[in-house]
Amino acid sequence: MLKYNPLAFIAILVCFMLSGCAVFQDTSQTEAYNRFAIRAAQAQLWNEAIFRWKQVIDVDPDDSKAHNNLGVAYEAVGNIDEAIAAYQRAAELEPDNKYYRLNYRRCRIHLRRSGLDDEDASQLEEELPPVEQ
Amino acid sequence: MQTKKTIGMLLAVLTLCGCGSAVTRVSIPVKVQSEIDIGRYSNFAVLPFVAEKQTERNEKLPEEIGAEIAATLRRGLARQKHFEVVGTQETARLLTGETVGEDWLSDTAHLSQLGEYFEVKGIIIGSFRFYSDSRPRRYYGERYSVQRQRYVMDYQDYMQKTYLLSLRVMIIDVETEQVIWDETYRRSTAEAHTIGSFIFSQAGPQSNTIRELGKRAVSEFTRQISPHYEREDRYLVN
Repeated sequence: MLKYNPLAFIAILVCFMLSGCAVFQDTSQTEAYNRFAIRAAQAQLWNEAIFRWKQVIDVDPDDSKAHNNLGVAYEAVGNIDEAIAAYQRAAELEPDNKYYRLNYRRCRIHLRRSGLDDEDASQLEEELPPVEQ
Repeated sequence: MQTKKTIGMLLAVLTLCGCGSAVTRVSIPVKVQSEIDIGRYSNFAVLPFVAEKQTERNEKLPEEIGAEIAATLRRGLARQKHFEVVGTQETARLLTGETVGEDWLSDTAHLSQLGEYFEVKGIIIGSFRFYSDSRPRRYYGERYSVQRQRYVMDYQDYMQKTYLLSLRVMIIDVETEQVIWDETYRRSTAEAHTIGSFIFSQAGPQSNTIRELGKRAVSEFTRQISPHYEREDRYLVN
């Protein structure tokens, strides 16, 4: 008969953590690039940040974080079309992430206010469910 | 046994913490377009602002204040690369013999004629109202009482004098005689007075206060009609 053994529970947890570490080993370079790019972005060095996030995407084209962050950087330097594309890709890869949707929504709202967005406002509302701020 | 459970819980929490993603908030510059068609309205003449009919609350002001507000607006607009503005001296020269009155605000046909005379696309004109509101206030604080050997509640009465400027700015399209912009900007500032200084302030000149409030109101108008950058927050995911 199976009995609850706390040591076994801890061993399982440690296994989970170690498996996480194994994944981290694979993505450590992209994580480092991402962290560096975020620091660059905080210092308003947007071109450097773009370069780093592009490198992350070259390594892992499905990295939704990099796509989102790249979108922010593109928006900061005024490349709105590329920013929209990057936000859309991030939202495709991780549709439930509220921050991606928030960034995308704000970018589109800004575009609409500027009169540069041809898309109907109601379409955007349908596209994106409400986000809790 | 208890220790093992605690360690187990701790490890579980640490594992779960790793699952979440941290977010960094950054502010980015976003370009805000002009609220008017700057392709069409690229040059303006700014006429002296008119003091609205005095009510009993209005402060007495020097007559040149309206012209000074207009000059401040001209300087602000001239700094923007998208706009050309008729200079103060040129405006004064072309308006020689005419006095801008409150009735001009509704006479768009006359303003349009003036605009053609100035060879501009838009005429900026407006009016202002400046008044003050004084109310007794009480400031609560603490003072040390020697008798009681502790801090006690204390208060001080003073007069709060609030100056309010209401500046109405209009843009008239010279071609169509239509009012394309009509907004009122309200700015206020307050100062605290004792009874003595309050009496002096009632008699003293108010022109510096209205100039300062006028500058603030005018800069808000200039910002609205010029393309500019604002900062907005975005989220970077770690």
